[in-house]
Amino acid sequence: MNRNYIYLTILLLALAGGLFVLPERNNEQGTGPEELMWDIVQPTRYATTDQVARMIIEKDPTIELIDVRPTEEYESFTLPGAVNIPLDSIIIEHYQDYLGVDGMNAVFFSNDDIKADQAWVIARRMGYDNIYVMKGGLNHWVETMIRPVKPDETAPEAEFEKYNLRKGACLYFSGAKPDANAGVQKSGVVVKRKKKAAVAEGGC
Amino acid sequence: MGPLIPQGIITGEWDFVIALLLGIAFGFILEASGFSSSRNIAGVFYGYNFVVLRVFLTAVLVAMIGLLYFDYMGWIEMDLVYVLPTYLSSMVLGSVIMGLGFVLGGFCPGTSYTAIAIGKIDAMVFTGGLFLGIFLFSEAFPWISDFYYSDNLGSVTISEVLGISNELFTFIMVVMGLVAFWGTWLIEKKVRKTIKHYKFE
Repeated sequence: MNRNYIYLTILLLALAGGLFVLPERNNEQGTGPEELMWDIVQPTRYATTDQVARMIIEKDPTIELIDVRPTEEYESFTLPGAVNIPLDSIIIEHYQDYLGVDGMNAVFFSNDDIKADQAWVIARRMGYDNIYVMKGGLNHWVETMIRPVKPDETAPEAEFEKYNLRKGACLYFSGAKPDANAGVQKSGVVVKRKKKAAVAEGGC
Repeated sequence: MGPLIPQGIITGEWDFVIALLLGIAFGFILEASGFSSSRNIAGVFYGYNFVVLRVFLTAVLVAMIGLLYFDYMGWIEMDLVYVLPTYLSSMVLGSVIMGLGFVLGGFCPGTSYTAIAIGKIDAMVFTGGLFLGIFLFSEAFPWISDFYYSDNLGSVTISEVLGISNELFTFIMVVMGLVAFWGTWLIEKKVRKTIKHYKFE
C-alpha cells in the first residue's frame, strides 16, 4: 500500500474534523457607518404623503405600507392596506417576509416620522433595499389628506393640482368632502324667513 | 462574495463560456481517471475496480469540505447556492435506471462522450441510445409528469432532514468515504486474484 494514501486519509480526516473546532465567526457584513450615512442623507428615501396617497388610490401593487406603531394604535387607525410591524419586533424572523420582497417598495410610517426613520435605519442595516419613509407620518397625512388647505390664489398651478389631488384623496379616504372638514363650518341652520305676505296693496 | 453568478459578479452572458470550460475540465478529469474505459466503470458492479467510486466520492468530499470552509471564510453565501429540489420517488426510479444503464452500457452520460473523444465505437452506440432515450422521455413526458413531480420534498439537504449540522454530516460522510476507500481496496485485492484477464496498472 502506498504511504501517500495514508497521508491523504489523515488529511481528509483532519480537514473534516477541523470544521468542528473552528471558532465562532459571524460573516454577516452589515452596512458600514459611511455607507449608512450616505444612505441616510439621501432625500430620495422619503416618500411624500401625496405620493403615498396617489399610489393607494391608483391601487399600485408595488407599494407595501408598513405601520411601525404599536399594535393598539394600528388597530384603532391605519392607512388602507397597511401591515403592522411594531418597531420593537422588526428584526423578528416572522416579519422578514414582508421586507425583502423583490419589486416591492416598503414604506414605513408612524405618527410622526421618527419611529419610521428608526425602522428604516434598522431595515437598512439588515440589508434591505427599496425601503422608504413616509415624510411627516400620519400627522402630516391628516394635515394634507384629511384637512387640505386651499392654496393662495397667487400660488403656482402645481399647488392647485396638489390641492385637487388632496381633495380627491380626502373624499377617497374619509368619504367626506374636504370643505365640510374645514372645521369652520357655520353652525346653526339658516332660517329662511318667509317674507310676510305683503299687505295687499291697492284694491279695495 | 460568492456565488459569483447569482450575485451578478459574473453576468449571465458568460454562462456558455463557463459551461464550456467546466465541460472541458470535467471531460479531461474523466479521461485522465480512466473513465473512458467501460471496464473501469462496470468494474464497480463486479467488484474488481472501484475507481469510479473513489474519484466521485473524492470529488464530493472535497466539495463538501471546501464549501464549508469557504462559507466560514465568508467567500460564499450558502443561502444563495442552488439546491436541487428533491422529487423522491422519481429520483429513486431514475437512479435505478441510471445504474442499470451503467452496468449494461459501461458508460455514464459524461464518460460516453470522453470515450467518443478517444474513438470508441461502443460509446457511439451508447450515445445513440442516450439520445433515443431523451427523445422518448420528452415525448412521453405529458404522461409521466405527474409521477415525475410527485413526492416533492422541496430544496432540502440531508443535514436538514436529519436535523444535524452541516459540519457533522460532512464529517460522517468523510468517515464513510474513507471506510469505503479502504474497504473497496480490500475487495479489489480479493476479487482480482480470481480475475486474471484484467490487469490494473
